[in-house]
Amino acid sequence: MSWHGHRDDPKLPKPVREVWRRKFSNRRDKNRQSNVDLAVLDSKGELVHWFDGFRRVEPQGFRGGQKRESLASYTERELQIALLGLDPAEIREKKNPLVLPGLEGPGIRVFVQLLDDRMRAYRAPVVEAVALEKADWKALEYPRKKRTVDAGDLEKWLAQVYPPGVMERTSQQTKKVYQISKVEGTLTLESAGSSGKTRYAILSGQVKLTDEGPGDFSYEGKLEILLAYGSSQAKVVSLKGVFDGIYPRYSRVQERVRKIPLRAAFESLPLASADSRG
Amino acid sequence: MKTTISSLALLLLAASFAPAQDSAVKSVLDRYADFRPAAKDLAMYQLDWAPSLAEAQKRALQEKRPVFLVIIHAQYGDLTSGHC
Repeated sequence: MSWHGHRDDPKLPKPVREVWRRKFSNRRDKNRQSNVDLAVLDSKGELVHWFDGFRRVEPQGFRGGQKRESLASYTERELQIALLGLDPAEIREKKNPLVLPGLEGPGIRVFVQLLDDRMRAYRAPVVEAVALEKADWKALEYPRKKRTVDAGDLEKWLAQVYPPGVMERTSQQTKKVYQISKVEGTLTLESAGSSGKTRYAILSGQVKLTDEGPGDFSYEGKLEILLAYGSSQAKVVSLKGVFDGIYPRYSRVQERVRKIPLRAAFESLPLASADSRG
Repeated sequence: MKTTISSLALLLLAASFAPAQDSAVKSVLDRYADFRPAAKDLAMYQLDWAPSLAEAQKRALQEKRPVFLVIIHAQYGDLTSGHC
């Protein structure tokens, strides 16, 4: 379970209030604290153990000796401490199936990865599920003849193609990430043969994404989408595709822009095809 | 003769077009397979996420299980989707 908020929020949940009371009472470590805390509560909601998400122990001893503890080892060690405070009856290993963010209705799932070699955390995939109405599929209906599609008509799902945790694209006032406010590009949609009772079309072209923040910040990439249709109807049955772009990330340390590959994969959620027919 | 040549040309055109279309379809599917994160990269979605702290605590009490709580001192988005 993740929770986010600020210390002056009017209704802090009890465990959060307790963690932050302990954290901020320790003035000595003020400058070594991160903004992520991890806590273990027992089944009754009582705080068993908490720790700063990133405050690893620095190596002790002589020069050239111990390496800095890995984040994984640090987290594991702290969780072992938490286990000592739990009722053993509450500790049960449970394997869960992989359950990606989904929807009850039709839509598109978007996977985004910023392939930053220096900040490997950014490579962790973002997964968003975007609900779509029937009207949102209209622009993608089967093309009897090659035609153009305005990328702006696909804004609902293309607007999810932005990287995670990029602080310089966050409003200092609201603390919220600037959303993509403009999706531009003239895409080409043309038929691409058939296989049995399935007909295909490919949507392709360059897309420019601009966020709502200052400086008219934008980035571009190539979109390639494969659309499948039934043998006679124009409605989309399924969709799979990619965005392959470059994200210009400003490095405050180097005071220059680094061009980092930004990739996305798209897939229609199973219900999308079924519900968008007719 | 002219009709035969035209028909042959059309047949050849159709024959050369079909594989080109197949390869275009395959190319997009290959890129999709390459870009879509593998299950090992999506392991965080094997965690039993609860949509709210209240829901997590309710389930913890019912199922007699502990809660692992991630607290973020900011409002940078949604840790579950990764856009944070």
